[in-house]
Amino acid sequence: MRWYIPYGNPTYFIWLALAIIPLMIGLLYGRRFRGYQTIISLFFLILTFGGPNWKTGISLISYLVYQMILVGLYSRYRQPKGSPNKGWIFVTAVVLAIVPLVIVKLTPLFTPGRQSIIGFMGISYITFKVVQTIMETRDGMIKEFHPVLFGQFLLFFPTISSGPIDRYRRFEADYAKVPEREAYLDMIQKGVRYVFQGFLYKFILAYYFGTILMPQLQQQALLAHGFSWNIVGYMYAYSMDLFFDFAGYSLFAVGISYLMGIKTPMNFNQPFKSKNIKDFWNRWHMTLSFWFRDYIFMRLVFFCMKHHIFKSRTTTANVCYVINMLIMGFWHGETWFYITYGLYHGFAMVINDTWLKFKKKHQKHIPHNKLTELFAIFLTFNVVCFSFLIFSGFLNTLFFAPKPY
Amino acid sequence: MSMKKRLFMIFGPIFAAALLMLAVFLSPLWSGFNYVKPEVVDNAAASLSPQVLKGQLIKRNAFENGYVPFFGSSEWSRFDPFHPSVLAAKYHRSYRPFLLGARGSQSLTHFFVMQSINPQLKNKKAVFFISPQWFTPMGEDPNAFSFYYSTLQTTSWIEHQNGSKMDRYAAYRLLKMPSGSSDKVIAGALARIAAGLKPTSSQMLYVGLRNRILLNEDQIFSRYRIPLNNEKTIDKNEQKLPAHYNYQRLDALASRIGAQKTSSNNFGIDNNFWNHRLKPHVKKLKGFQTRMSFLKSPEYSDFELILNQFANDRTKVLFIIPPINAKWQKYTGLSQSMLDQFDQKITYQLKSQGFSHIDDLSHDGNVPYFMTDTIHPGWRGWLKMDQAIRPFLTKKVATPHYQINKQFYSKKWQNENGSENNLDY
Repeated sequence: MRWYIPYGNPTYFIWLALAIIPLMIGLLYGRRFRGYQTIISLFFLILTFGGPNWKTGISLISYLVYQMILVGLYSRYRQPKGSPNKGWIFVTAVVLAIVPLVIVKLTPLFTPGRQSIIGFMGISYITFKVVQTIMETRDGMIKEFHPVLFGQFLLFFPTISSGPIDRYRRFEADYAKVPEREAYLDMIQKGVRYVFQGFLYKFILAYYFGTILMPQLQQQALLAHGFSWNIVGYMYAYSMDLFFDFAGYSLFAVGISYLMGIKTPMNFNQPFKSKNIKDFWNRWHMTLSFWFRDYIFMRLVFFCMKHHIFKSRTTTANVCYVINMLIMGFWHGETWFYITYGLYHGFAMVINDTWLKFKKKHQKHIPHNKLTELFAIFLTFNVVCFSFLIFSGFLNTLFFAPKPY
Repeated sequence: MSMKKRLFMIFGPIFAAALLMLAVFLSPLWSGFNYVKPEVVDNAAASLSPQVLKGQLIKRNAFENGYVPFFGSSEWSRFDPFHPSVLAAKYHRSYRPFLLGARGSQSLTHFFVMQSINPQLKNKKAVFFISPQWFTPMGEDPNAFSFYYSTLQTTSWIEHQNGSKMDRYAAYRLLKMPSGSSDKVIAGALARIAAGLKPTSSQMLYVGLRNRILLNEDQIFSRYRIPLNNEKTIDKNEQKLPAHYNYQRLDALASRIGAQKTSSNNFGIDNNFWNHRLKPHVKKLKGFQTRMSFLKSPEYSDFELILNQFANDRTKVLFIIPPINAKWQKYTGLSQSMLDQFDQKITYQLKSQGFSHIDDLSHDGNVPYFMTDTIHPGWRGWLKMDQAIRPFLTKKVATPHYQINKQFYSKKWQNENGSENNLDY
């Protein structure tokens, strides 16, 4: 028996193809074999969390039981008619939901080089799903708690390790029905295309940028001591690697979901074509940034407006942008470069908003044409790539880490 | 459109692509696609790249075009004006060294490297640099072996092996390494070879297919993936040499450059190496090699694989035995009598089987500017070596008569430390 990182090698795809063929035949003939789907889900979860990784498997199971109880209790409190809907209970539920993730994220800070024993691959993404479910339960959008459906949602194996982050209500609706044959054939066509586009992204382009180009530039940059053009080269190579690797992975996850008759949302939409930083976050790691937008940014804005914390709307939005992105930075990890990355994007959003307002006001004097659009794309691209250079931690290696001699 | 037609439109291209890929990678036609640009070969010769070591096409091309294999390990990366590659280029010698090996590549790795170039070794010449440091109780580090491991070379060897003692021993050793059992079918074939049996026909079919695919991959891609090259380093070093070769003048120059480059310490160690690698922990290193011994090691039998393969190919080989920096040796407590015994043991293994071209430098460790660091020759060391390499590679060498002795594959020989006095050196 061998153990696999999801979508890590060709053998995993062969297993995947064999396992979902019966499911696909069922869907083509109007049936969703839910029992079979559960069995193959377990099989793929064991491929990832079993064998030498069994400890993370135990963590996953314990985590799941914990969150099920938590969401179950909160649902029992909130869903009956006339529920008191106390704010502090809601806050406690959210805090309890993110406690395991916080512990996992903080552990390396206190015991350098060690990972928390309660961690497992994909804990962040499941936590996002849990928090979202609690919030929508509070809002009264989710009216019923089905432990089995909820479990299927959290453990949906194509997206378990790194998203995309689906929404409970959307997932549940897909899972409950069987698409029409024509519609399902369209989904198969798209799914197959996504998977093959993923092959191009992850195994050819990301391989080139990440495994061939990047180490050479890294080596050269380290040898140069201090600033060299190799750092700039590294910045672009890293950005390309980051995109093609993650977008490739996401395409696999979305493609396989489509073949299973579930329309998991897309994660990337040509992000390097963005004309400004806001546009960028609407195209880059979309399910994450929309999650942050809906469950952190918007909630913060409402909270501030409700309690009249700031006088102007602009200030409210700006402060919330920075806090929002800062939290995203902390989520990435407790290092100065992740946090700087978060702050950088927060302020980039503020600057972007300010500029757009200024531009609207002075519409007559500021030109807007194909050329300025091209310039905007160029500028946004470089601002983003620079943020990825911070994110990569390479500046840390370059300037602060002990020299590898 | 009917469902069947749509499914065919969706999945048809995938099956077509799979078939096309199989056809491309299994096609025997690629073996005719042999041309490699001379610049690529020149780059590869001094690249010290594991890619080159693991491949086949580039090496074969090189050895058919005036390059001579220089087997060894980390010493090849010590470029200075007297490095064999620099001297050969500067003075337009009739040969050019093709450097094989880098840190951690030892006999077992080289045995498999040889499997990719056996036709090019037949009746030709080669240089082999023996590092005493290979002969530790553990022998070749499994991680280093994995780093240089090539399934292409293993499958080529399985296809040609004939169950001789050498083949059986090689299979046995390969199975001791994680790389050897990384592929279950190949591991099964190895187990049969080690036991003196022929691999089954289905194992051979699998090995043949793997070999064909890997060979084609090498034929198609290897010429495009030579990483950073050392051409510039060689050019720069050439410029420091006088136009005409004169041993005395060069030796004086080597001393001058050596003196400049070792000004920071009393060990005669290159300043860079000293400052970055030794200075920070030099105190801790005092006496740390007192118990080190190069006398008992599985490496002796791995080395026998090399000798056996050379004998089968009737290759004429010059072996170089380097010294150790004498001051460093004294400081770290490495035993001189142990080193003398090592020298005797390895020389006996060579000479008793007919390998008579040995450039034994083991007593030159105290010659100033002979070593560039603790164990690697530099300036005057390279030049001294050149006094053996040049005549060996430019003049006619008598046909050797090798007699391989299977005793050298035994545990007894691996553990023979000379004091038991049962072998007459």
